[in-house]
Amino acid sequence: LSGSRVAQAQQATAPAAADSAHSPSSALSQSDIAKMLPATDMGAGAARANNPHLPPVSDSPATPFDAASIPANPLAPQADAIGAKSCVACHTQENVQASHTLHVASFRAGAANTGPQAACESCHGPGSEHAKAPTAPGLIIGFTHDAKTSPQTQAGVCLSCHAGGARQHWIGSIHQNRGLSCTDCHNPMAKLSPEGVLAKSSINEVCATCHQDIRAKFNRRSHMPLPEGQMACTDCHNPHGSITKPLLKTDTVNETCYTCHAEKRGPFLFEHAPVRQNCLNCHDVHGSNQQTLLVAPVPMLCQQCHTMTRHPNDLQTSAGLGTGPHPDERLMGRGCLSCHTNIHGSNNPSGPKFHK
Amino acid sequence: DTSGTMRVGDMQYGNGLDLRGWTPMLYPADPDGTSYLHAGMLRTPTGALYPYPPMADAGKPLGQGDWTYAGLLEFGYLHVGGDRNAEYFRQYDDWRSGAVLGLFALDFNNRKTGEYVDFRGSRVSGGDQFYRLRAGRYGSYRVEGFYRDMPHTVSTSAYPIWNGVGSTDLTLPASLVAGASTPAQVAAVSAATPRRSIGMVRTRAGLGYEGTLYRNWIGSASITNEKRTGTRLWGGSMFFNYPFPDNGGVLETVRPIDFRTTDVNLSLRNVGKVWRFLATYNGSFFRNHKDHLNFESPFALWNVTGTPQVADIKDGQFSLEPDNDYHNLRLDLSRELKWNGQFTVVGAWGTMRQNDALLAPTTCTGVGGIFIAPPVDYTFQCANWNTTAALSQKNANARIDTGLFDARVTFHPTASFGWHAGLRWYREDDKTRYLAYNPLTGQYGYISENGSQGSVVPGETGIFDPSNPLYRSYMVTVRNNPFGYTDTIFELGGDWQFGRKNSLGVVYTYDHNRPKYRERKRVDDQRIKFDWVSRDVVGATVRLSWEYAKRDGDKYNYDPYAQFFSESLPGFVEPVMGIAAHTVADMRKYDLSDRTESKARVIVTYPWGESATLSATFYGNRDQYDAVIGRQSSRTTGATVQWDWQPTPATTVNAYLGAETSRLGIANVGDADGPDNGAAFGTIGQTDPNLGGPLYPFANQWWEFDRESNRNAGLSFSHDFGRVRLDASYNYTGSFGHVGYTYDTVGGLAYRDPAAVAAASNGFPDNKYRTNTLDLGLNFAVNRSVGVRLFGRYQTGAFSDWHYAGFDNTLSYDHRIYTDKGGQLHYSTSLVGVMLNLKL
Repeated sequence: LSGSRVAQAQQATAPAAADSAHSPSSALSQSDIAKMLPATDMGAGAARANNPHLPPVSDSPATPFDAASIPANPLAPQADAIGAKSCVACHTQENVQASHTLHVASFRAGAANTGPQAACESCHGPGSEHAKAPTAPGLIIGFTHDAKTSPQTQAGVCLSCHAGGARQHWIGSIHQNRGLSCTDCHNPMAKLSPEGVLAKSSINEVCATCHQDIRAKFNRRSHMPLPEGQMACTDCHNPHGSITKPLLKTDTVNETCYTCHAEKRGPFLFEHAPVRQNCLNCHDVHGSNQQTLLVAPVPMLCQQCHTMTRHPNDLQTSAGLGTGPHPDERLMGRGCLSCHTNIHGSNNPSGPKFHK
Repeated sequence: DTSGTMRVGDMQYGNGLDLRGWTPMLYPADPDGTSYLHAGMLRTPTGALYPYPPMADAGKPLGQGDWTYAGLLEFGYLHVGGDRNAEYFRQYDDWRSGAVLGLFALDFNNRKTGEYVDFRGSRVSGGDQFYRLRAGRYGSYRVEGFYRDMPHTVSTSAYPIWNGVGSTDLTLPASLVAGASTPAQVAAVSAATPRRSIGMVRTRAGLGYEGTLYRNWIGSASITNEKRTGTRLWGGSMFFNYPFPDNGGVLETVRPIDFRTTDVNLSLRNVGKVWRFLATYNGSFFRNHKDHLNFESPFALWNVTGTPQVADIKDGQFSLEPDNDYHNLRLDLSRELKWNGQFTVVGAWGTMRQNDALLAPTTCTGVGGIFIAPPVDYTFQCANWNTTAALSQKNANARIDTGLFDARVTFHPTASFGWHAGLRWYREDDKTRYLAYNPLTGQYGYISENGSQGSVVPGETGIFDPSNPLYRSYMVTVRNNPFGYTDTIFELGGDWQFGRKNSLGVVYTYDHNRPKYRERKRVDDQRIKFDWVSRDVVGATVRLSWEYAKRDGDKYNYDPYAQFFSESLPGFVEPVMGIAAHTVADMRKYDLSDRTESKARVIVTYPWGESATLSATFYGNRDQYDAVIGRQSSRTTGATVQWDWQPTPATTVNAYLGAETSRLGIANVGDADGPDNGAAFGTIGQTDPNLGGPLYPFANQWWEFDRESNRNAGLSFSHDFGRVRLDASYNYTGSFGHVGYTYDTVGGLAYRDPAAVAAASNGFPDNKYRTNTLDLGLNFAVNRSVGVRLFGRYQTGAFSDWHYAGFDNTLSYDHRIYTDKGGQLHYSTSLVGVMLNLKL
C-alpha cells in the first residue's frame, strides 16, 4: 500500500513524463504493479509537500542534479514510474556498482537534502512497461549497444541535466552528427575511471576507441606528452562540442596553441605570415617524424614557399650533408633555422629576416 | 557539472610510471561485472565493450559521522639501467634510479551531504611529479588546487662550447678568442666539451573554484601559474659560411628558458528552460625573464673585396620573446526553438599586446662594414646603431585585436530529418606599426646579423640611405608587415535518418578568407561533405565520411611586399640592372594556392561475440595544388586494426596494428646566380620573374618529395590468477622517411661540381625512428590491504636523421659549430622497480 502511495506521489512530481494524466498502459494498475514489486523509495513530491521550506525546483530542462525529472520514453509512452527499489529487485549488481559512482553518489547526496526523487528512472525513464516485459527491447531507455533507444533520446536524457556550459555546443557538433551517444564515452553505471565517469579507464583510452590513427601518431619521434600520461586529448579538444570543426576549446587553432606556448603569442615587431595565420601550416600537432612536430623536413618545409633569389632556392642534396663534399648550413642540424632562428617572429629592430 | 572541458590544459595528471594516473585504483576487477542478468559486459552504443569495473569499495567510516574514506599508497624503488640518457627514452620522463611515489590517493566522502575531499599525488622525481587536491559538494561547488612538474628533454647529447649556458650571455672558453679563433681551435674545444642535456621543466600550480552562485547561475574562477625553466637549442648567425670558406659563422647555440605565464579564467553561465547563457573571460599574462641572448662567435670575418678588414664583428644577439598580455571576452547565447530547434550566437573580442622595450639594432662597437677606397666607403659607426636612440620608437607597441561572431541554427522538425545553417566571422587585425628609421643618421633599415653581413659583403649592411649614392638602391625592409585576415564561413547541412540504424548527412561549407598584405586578397574554399552512419553492417557500426573541396581566389600577386621595402620610399633609385625579381612569378604559397582536396574516413566497430571487439579505421586524403612552383601535392593513406578481448573479469587481451604512408611533393627553381647555371643575377635579366626567363630558367627547376611510412603494433595481456596478477605488453613503432628529388639540369643544384653531382644521387639517406618496448608487471596480494608490485621495462630504439649525418664524428665544420648530435643511433634501456601497495 505504501508502495502504491509513493509511486503515485512520484508521478505527480514528474512533469517531463510523457503524459502524467494518461491511464495506465496495460491491464495492470499501478497498485497491481506495486503489489508485485518491492516498495519504492521514491517520493520527492511527498517530501516537498511535507516540507514547504525546501528550495523550489525549476521546471527547466536543465535541472539541478538532485531534482532530475523522469524523461519520457518515446518507445514506451504509456509507461509509468515504479521506483528504484523495483528496479533494484532485479538489477542488484547494477545497484552495487552504480552506488559507488560519482553519478549516483550525487543523486543520493541530493536525495538526502531535497527528497529522494532522482534515481534509476531519472535516466532510464518510467519502468512499468519494462517491468512487465523485461526482455522486450525499447521499453526502458537504454544506453548500450543493444538498446532500441535512439542516440538522440539518450543524449537528450543526459542533457536534461547536463546542458549548457561545456556542452552548450553539443547540438551540431561532429560527435552529435555522427550519432554518438554520451555513453559512448561515459558510463555512469560503474566506476570504470576514478573521475569523469568515463567509459574506459582514462580520457585518452576513450578517445582512442575511435581515433586509433591519432593515437598512433603520438608514437612518432616528436609529439606532445600524451603517451607519457602528461596530457589528455581534452586538454585541447572539447568532445562535447565547440564552435570550431575540430572541437577546439578556443576560437582558433593558434589560440589553443598559445595557451601553453604563450611566448609564441607576441605580437612581434616582425611577423612570419604562415606562423601568425595558423600553427598547422608548419606543425602536425598529433605527431611527426621530423623535429619539433614539423610537417616536412627542413629545408624542404621552407622551400615550399621560399624561392627568392640566391640562397633559398637551391636544391639541397646529400652533397651538402655533414658527410658530403660540401657541408652546408642550410641543410645541417637546424638547417634554415640555424640563422632564421626567430622564425615564430622577431622583436628585434634588426629582425625582419628572423636572424635576431 | 564542471567546466573543465571548456578550458585548455590540466585535464590529465599522470606520468611514465602510470599513464592514467590512477591505475592502482582500477584493480581488482569485480568478478560479477555490472549485472547478474547477463554474462560479460555491456557495450557502448557504438559497440565497444565497457571494461569490467573494479570491486566496489564503500570506504571506511571516519569517526561517528557520515564521512567515509578510502586511500591507497604505492611507493617503492626504481632502477634505471642501460642507456639511461637516451633522448627518446626520457623525452617527457625524468627517469632516475631511486625512491618513487607511484600513487598516493586519499578520498573522503560524505554520503549524506555529498561533500568530498580528494587528494592525489605521484612523484617520479623532483622534475616529474604532480599533486592535486579537490574538495566540494556534489552539485554545489568545487575547489581545486594543484601543483605539477612536467619534464621535457630536448637533447641528451649536446656539447655547447660556450660558458653561461642557461643565461643570457654565452661567452667563449678561455682557449678561444671571439672573432679570432681558427676552425681547428674551435673543433678541439668542441671535442673536449662534456656532454650535457638540454631541456626544461614546466612547473604549474593553480587554484580553481566552480559553483552555484545563485539559483541557476553557476560561476567559475581559476588562476594558474606556470614557470618554465631550462634551455633549448638555438641558432646564431654571423653570415653565411657555405659560399665563403673560412668566413662567416653559423652557430648552434643554447638559449635560456625562463618564462612565467599566469592565466586567469572566469565564467558565468545560466542554463534555463529556453535560454542558455555563458560568459567567459580568459586572461593570459606571459613574462619572459630573459628577453635576449648575447653570444660570442669564435670565428673571424673577412670582407670579400680583399681590402683590409676594418670591422671587428664578433658578437651576435637575439631578442627573445617579449612579455605579452592577452584578454578574451566571449559571450555564448543559445535559445531553444520549436521543431527541436536551437539558435546559438557567439560573440568574442580579444586582444594580445606587448610593449617591450626594443633592443638597439646592433651590439657592435667601433666600426662595422667595409672600406674599399674613397669614396666607396661601406662602413658604419656602431655608435650610431648600438643605442636605442637609433630607433624610431623605443617600445614595440605591438597589438593584435581579434573579433568573432558565430551564429548557427539547427532544426529537427521530424525524427527523420534535420537541417542546420551556420555563419562564422572572424577577424585578426594587427595594429602594430613600425618604421625602421634611424634618427641619428637619417637612414632606414637595420644592421643585418649584428653587422656581420655588411662586414663580409660590401653594402649588404641592411641600410637604405636616399642621400648616399652607395645606399640609395638597396632593397631592405623598412616597415613591419601587419599580417591579418578576415574569415567568413557559411555552412548549410542536412541529415536524414533511414530507419532506426542508418543516417546520411551532407554539409556544404563556403569559406571566404580575406588575408591582408598577402599574395591574394581573397581565397575561397568550397567544400561538400557526406557522412553515412550505419549501426548494423553485418552487426558492425560503420561511420563513413567523404569530403571534396575546391579552393581558388582572386589574382595571385607573387610580390605584394614592395610597400614594406625601401623601394617604396622617396629617394630610392632603381639599380642600373633593375631590382632582382623577389621571387618567381609561378610560385604559389600553399596556404593561398588553388587546391583540390578529397578526404575519406571509415571507422568500423564490430562486436565480435560476447567478449571481443574488432575495430578498424581506414582513411586517406588527397590534395592537389595548382602550383608549378611550390607545394604540388600531398597524400596520406592509412589503416588501423584493433582487437580487444575480455573473456573474463580476470583476463584482458589487446592487439593492434597500424600502418600509414604519406607523400608530399614540391617544386622549386634555382635562380641563375652562378656562372654555371645561367648567370642572370646581376644582369638586366634579373628583373624577369617568370619561370623560363633568364633569372628562373626551366633548366634550373627541381622537384622534391618526402615519403614517409609508419608502422605500429602492440599486444597486451593481463590476467588475475587470484593472489597474483600478471600484466605484459609489447609495443612497436617504426617510422621511415625518404626525401628524394629530381632536377632538370644540374643548374638547380646547390653544388654543381662533378663530385657534388655524384654525391647528390637522387635522395637523402633514409631517416628512421624505431622503438621496441616490453613491459612486464607482477602484482602480489599479500592480504586485503597490502600488495607488492614488481615491474620492468626493456626498450630498444634506433634513430637516424640525415640532418645530423657526420655529427657523431665532429660538430665542427669550417666556420660552423653545432651543439646537438641528435638522438642516439641505437639505445637500449631498462627499468626495474618494486612497489609496496598499501590500502589505507
